Amino acid sequence: MKIKGLILLLLLAASQITIAQNADFSGFARSYTGVMYDTGDFSILQNTLNLDISKSGNKVAFKANPMLYSYNADSLDLRLRELYLDLYFKNFDLRIGQQQVIWGKADGVFITDVVSPLNLTEFLLPDFDEIRTGVLAAKFDYYIGNSTFEVIWLPKFTPTVMPAANSIWSFHRDFMAPPSFDWSKSAINPSLENSEVFVKYSALTSKIDFELMGGYTWDDNPTMHVDKQFDMSSGSPMLTGLNITPQHHRLYLGGGSFSTEIFGVVLRGEAAYYNGKHFQTQDPIAVDALIEKDYLHYLVGLDFSIKDVKFSTQFIQETILDYDEKMINDEIQNTMTFLARYDMFRETLHLDVFAYIGLSNEDALIRPKITYDFDDSFSILLGSNIFVGDEKGRFGQYKDNSMIYMKLKYNF
Amino acid sequence: MRKLKITPILLAMSFAFGFGTEVSAQDFTGKQIIEKVYNRSVGEDQTSDLAMTLTNRNGDQRIRKIKQFTKDMGDVEKRIMFFLSPADVKNTSFMSWTYDSDKSDDQWIYLPALKKTKRISSDSKSDYFMGSDFTYDDLGDRKLEDDTHKLLREETIDGKECYVVESVSNDEDYMYSKTMVWVNKSNFIGVKKEFFDEDEDLLKILTIKEVKEISGIWVITNSEMKNVQKNHKTSITLKNVQINSGISASKFSERMMTRGL
Repeated sequence: MKIKGLILLLLLAASQITIAQNADFSGFARSYTGVMYDTGDFSILQNTLNLDISKSGNKVAFKANPMLYSYNADSLDLRLRELYLDLYFKNFDLRIGQQQVIWGKADGVFITDVVSPLNLTEFLLPDFDEIRTGVLAAKFDYYIGNSTFEVIWLPKFTPTVMPAANSIWSFHRDFMAPPSFDWSKSAINPSLENSEVFVKYSALTSKIDFELMGGYTWDDNPTMHVDKQFDMSSGSPMLTGLNITPQHHRLYLGGGSFSTEIFGVVLRGEAAYYNGKHFQTQDPIAVDALIEKDYLHYLVGLDFSIKDVKFSTQFIQETILDYDEKMINDEIQNTMTFLARYDMFRETLHLDVFAYIGLSNEDALIRPKITYDFDDSFSILLGSNIFVGDEKGRFGQYKDNSMIYMKLKYNF
Repeated sequence: MRKLKITPILLAMSFAFGFGTEVSAQDFTGKQIIEKVYNRSVGEDQTSDLAMTLTNRNGDQRIRKIKQFTKDMGDVEKRIMFFLSPADVKNTSFMSWTYDSDKSDDQWIYLPALKKTKRISSDSKSDYFMGSDFTYDDLGDRKLEDDTHKLLREETIDGKECYVVESVSNDEDYMYSKTMVWVNKSNFIGVKKEFFDEDEDLLKILTIKEVKEISGIWVITNSEMKNVQKNHKTSITLKNVQINSGISASKFSERMMTRGL
């Protein structure tokens, strides 16, 4: 809390300086209330202030983007999405500081988009611009015509932010015996040796846009090292407990993405190959109940219009290569997304529905919403998050969390 | 965040209005008149500040402000726009490359909240631009052969002698059954244009309110589109227009879309 207070003071001081230097201020204030269908309990009572402070020049620019979240009127969460300095040169740019990096052509799916980890404390429900966390990084972009060569160095590893164990969004896990967790090995000490590096080559051309990327990184999600405890007193071993030690492991990955237009339809694709990812296994001779496999994650998508309605759909497949039948994860997991959007009354009323559809587990998250813009600053959104299907599925596990919600938003 | 509908627009509002050389009094066909309107000089590049005011039937107004840059690069015309207001679209940028050939436009939008440059389809000519009364097609370049043009009559409007030309699309699925344009006989700049819906009822009237000569190029700096069926209108004004200022080709790149103004 002291650190947050210090950050707040620094931001206030910075804001005084920036006011003096005519920096740009923008952002929004938002009230967000959700009620669960089943119980009538509030699933969320959140107020948010997003402040975007920036100043741009020909050779240098800076941006600060703190977001202040108030939950249930009794807890505050200050997130510093970004705080960076830009240096512009003739053929290259340098960005240093806390920043969000977004890669790839997928919407709502994270395949090559792995530089900025996710904040999953509210599952996948936050707006996609809020679900990513900022990372401390130095980003170098070198420009050749319409193509860009990018190198990013992250001196400090930032993991995925997981929901608390008592959260309605904590992940469902089945354990064969009572678990106990030891988180002492989950932290990665900042050092040169432990830093992460990503590279990307991208181009916008008249025929196709594409990106090629690679990374030497840490798995944002910790691997669960399981030490099984047995009671031998009865003569035959009886499983009595699990000592679980979450640890992050190194990963190499490479991939790419593209988008192009064919007869008025935008075709998109994205793929990433992970080398040496750790998975859980039930193989009794596996050390720590783990096995290392390569993993492929890819997507194809289409964006198109019929009459005045915009559609977008994506097919996503996750495949574990050289699969072992004793592994806990399925060999193949298929998912689809679907988006339809219709704007009415001179773009003041917006009807949307977005859905994740788990094809492998026959579950889904369906998100209809209606937004009305009272004017250019103030809007009201009514929506619902509907979880259906198999309770062992990625979305079906939250069946009891289906909710209706309202957001009031003031942009400035 | 509100989604933008973007269009390749507003190179001095090039929709069927323009500037041609002085002509001697002679008989023209409808096609020749429209050809002179289309074949006007617009300069090598252009910079301007654009304000779009949307007025509904109650008189309530919404204003969109854009900074735009265009450059003719031979067989392709490149355009980049930076949205300044309203607040929820601030720092959004749009880039289009329009080809002289039959190739479809390439269009991209950069959404600052998502930090992503997305390719978007150019197949949306009948969509309205940012909730205004202008469709993509109204604001984009239209080719001479897209329509059959017929000179209907000559008429004086606001003291200006005009040709009145009717244009009917050669595409049966076109959004308008026909358009009628009043072209100033003295300089071949459009003065007024009427748009008729699929039932051949008058839908919209475009009125050119101000034309300025800037660096030797005639530029429409104030126009208004009124939807007579729904009784709402949109006015577009251009300010700080600069012609042939030598905009660098590197301005029209993803680097600039993401960097902003």
